[in-house]
Amino acid sequence: MAVIEIENLFFAYDEDIILENINLKVEPLDFLAIIGPNGGGKSTLLKLILGLLKPTKGTVRVFGEPPSKQLPHIGYVPQNTNVNTDFPIKVIEVVLIGHVGGKKPLFGYGKDEIAYAMGALAQVDMEAYAHSRIGDLSGGQRQRVMIARALCAHPKILILDEPTSSIDIKGQKEIYALLKTLNKTITVIVVSHDISVILEYANKAAHVNKRLVFHDISDKHRTFHTHGNEEHFCEVELLQMLGAENCETCTSDTTPAVRKEKP
Amino acid sequence: MIEALHFAFVQHAIIAGVLVSLAAGIIGSLIVVNRMVFLAGGIAHASYGGIGMAVFFGLPIFFGASVFAMFAALLVATLTLHKRHRIDTFIGLIWAVGMAIGVVFTDLTPGYNVDLMSYLFGSILAVSTTDLYFMGALLTLIVLVVFFWYRPILAVSYDSEYAKLRGIPVRFFYTLILVLSALTVVIAIKVVGLILVIAMLTIPVYIAEKLSGSLWQMMLYSGAFATLFTLTGLWFSYTYNLTSGASIILVSAAGLGLFLLVKRGR
Repeated sequence: MAVIEIENLFFAYDEDIILENINLKVEPLDFLAIIGPNGGGKSTLLKLILGLLKPTKGTVRVFGEPPSKQLPHIGYVPQNTNVNTDFPIKVIEVVLIGHVGGKKPLFGYGKDEIAYAMGALAQVDMEAYAHSRIGDLSGGQRQRVMIARALCAHPKILILDEPTSSIDIKGQKEIYALLKTLNKTITVIVVSHDISVILEYANKAAHVNKRLVFHDISDKHRTFHTHGNEEHFCEVELLQMLGAENCETCTSDTTPAVRKEKP
Repeated sequence: MIEALHFAFVQHAIIAGVLVSLAAGIIGSLIVVNRMVFLAGGIAHASYGGIGMAVFFGLPIFFGASVFAMFAALLVATLTLHKRHRIDTFIGLIWAVGMAIGVVFTDLTPGYNVDLMSYLFGSILAVSTTDLYFMGALLTLIVLVVFFWYRPILAVSYDSEYAKLRGIPVRFFYTLILVLSALTVVIAIKVVGLILVIAMLTIPVYIAEKLSGSLWQMMLYSGAFATLFTLTGLWFSYTYNLTSGASIILVSAAGLGLFLLVKRGR
């Protein structure tokens, strides 16, 4: 069964159409990158998948059900983790907010819950900071804690909205490497601006700008123009290519981003 | 000062000061971390409408103010959930209209010359036994709510969107916090008055926030600082014959200044 299945989805705020005729299928253990310009509807699409917004038309199914029924299986890492940094809360308490299910004690936290939370922190290599105040961490560390909060619920899908927008280059690479590891057991969906970075890790890409263009990019060498440099993609060219619904350089109609092999 | 403790009204003032300070410490923490300070200010001033109506209809003042403040809180909660981007306008409206209703109703009350000042700046030396019961009951309610619902309240306060995704009834807890704030504002009016109530709900909390590693610690420290400032303010008020509410707030402000100096010095 598809992890997420979106069919003929439209979304509009009043008269303003944000998303138009979206179709998307996410398979188990996919690493999907959602890219596209600001205001193109990326975050709106995430909110629809999470059930925080309701589609104007069309359907969103998560494991064949409406998103609200599957919330315990969705781990979500929000965009801006630098808000509320004055809030007096410890790292472990933030992670415990993510814990669902199980019997909760009358007050305080159960031993098993704390063990789960520590396990989640260990997964993101942050267990040493369990008792630090969240505001004392760096942007990258805070992002890891938010991933741990999402993991604490043992999700089958992990959804991240711009996870690296407030982190330096080194931190970004570390976050993506971590996601790659988690992707062995969890389906990962990332909204991102760092196109060249994210595409190294993703196997599927969706370019969202009101409409959605889907690409299978499992085979990186075949997919992208790399100017002879296999490690680096040209971002401008990439965006244009992934956004184009019909690309002159393409051989196939279904995967428009695939480059025509030189004869 | 010691002989003053024999007077019932001084005993009442001290008990009321402690009860209200503890309630203000807990609820003030929630107001600050939820960024509801302006909302609480609006509710405080709107509750004067309830005071005016209670005077006009001959009802107990606390009762009138509580009902009116709760009504204002529910209105604010509904507006915040549906028209978030215009909320500052609505708060300003509730703030002014509530006060206007209060003033007009006291004008209309025949032969009653209400002491407006005592509601604006508090009248802690005129606390009755009934008032004390009301304060005690409210503090007990607040402590029970925070004790048993600490986790959902923490989740909603820290990150309401995420709390919603975890299936926590965010609206319910948001409204609950606002209603408890309204009731706390009403009892704090007795101690510091409705103009100064915001200072009582924020100054001790601001100091506590810097010293605390968790929300419950913040609540405890806030309650302790609020009690300290209130009792010190009361002593100044009694010794130098000053308005109690204003003395309490100035002592709090001095405490905050001292705290910031010490913090910078380290």
